[in-house]
Amino acid sequence: MIEKDNRPVNLNLLTISLPIIGVSSILHRISGLAVFFSFPLVVWLFSISLKSEESFSALANLYQTSLILKAMTYLFLVGFSYHLLAGFKKLVSDAFGVGETLQSGRMLSWIVFGATFIVAMLFLFLIF
Amino acid sequence: MSAAVIPVEQIKTITMSIYRYDPTVDKKPYMQDVIVEIPTDKDIMVLDALHLAKEQEPSLSYRRSCREGVCGSDGMNINGKNGLACVTPLSEVLKRDKITLRPMPGLPVVRDLIVDMKQFFDQLEKVKPYLITKSDAPDIERKQTPEDRDGLDGLYECILCGCCSTSCPSFWWNPDKFLGPAALLQSWRFINDSRDEATEERLDDLEDAFSLYRCHGIMNCVSVCPKGLNPTEAISNIRNKLLTRKKA
Repeated sequence: MIEKDNRPVNLNLLTISLPIIGVSSILHRISGLAVFFSFPLVVWLFSISLKSEESFSALANLYQTSLILKAMTYLFLVGFSYHLLAGFKKLVSDAFGVGETLQSGRMLSWIVFGATFIVAMLFLFLIF
Repeated sequence: MSAAVIPVEQIKTITMSIYRYDPTVDKKPYMQDVIVEIPTDKDIMVLDALHLAKEQEPSLSYRRSCREGVCGSDGMNINGKNGLACVTPLSEVLKRDKITLRPMPGLPVVRDLIVDMKQFFDQLEKVKPYLITKSDAPDIERKQTPEDRDGLDGLYECILCGCCSTSCPSFWWNPDKFLGPAALLQSWRFINDSRDEATEERLDDLEDAFSLYRCHGIMNCVSVCPKGLNPTEAISNIRNKLLTRKKA
């Protein structure tokens, strides 16, 4: 019988520093998860808008008045954009070997953050 | 005490917050602050400061041997980032005269700053970190061209301190399935060796969902390696080798 290992493990994530590339990678995961779970809601809203002319205008009206709905849409779009851009970064890294040094990896992460910020500003302007 | 020989004006006190755990006494690990006097007219390494702390707390345990970044014994988590205590200048990591030392993350703690490296070495063993040859041994030696030899640069220098693998989130969650950056760097070192004759078998062994492909390019390994090596690049090279092999 294998004895249970009772020895402690130092794995308090709050005490371990995470460089920018790691932050970018974990946010890619988190945004992916968030987008995945919010997708049914988005599809449901989309189906309502396509049901009839009345339901479309009802939804459009609700949209004009509900700040929560606007904020939710905004968060979804920003999360989706980040996930997409960070995904591109990973594909580019895999395909061309770009961003495999510490310096270029950091730069790519900053580019993704910067691009997401620009897109987020754009959505902010468009939605609110 | 060693501090006694230093003129008073050249001394300052620092706080070393150190992870303590003695399995015979403690149920849980705890952080202990040790106040240490260090010289200000020269820079000392984190390991030197640990020695000073040990003078006050003789039960403090940590591994060390060569004290110059060759043996790889004193890997630890310094202010949240893995590194070798012997080659990390105190001035670089001291923040408001304080430094925090913890054992390398993810591995079971034996005592204080000492971790059980078994999982780490088990993974290394899996990549067969030695030359495998099938052809008859030549009379004198197996030769390499200077270009082939260059292919081992940035790979053979690894001292197996474990700083990279224990800073890798993929290794934390799957230390038994994902080989980790150190083992994969060694894997590529032998795949890329022109004298090795087991390339196909080596690649076969890596072709599953966990061993290699759990690397997500977080690059903590590259940012902590005390020897400045790049396991992420090595992993990418193995991946490309696997892909091009399929096409052939």
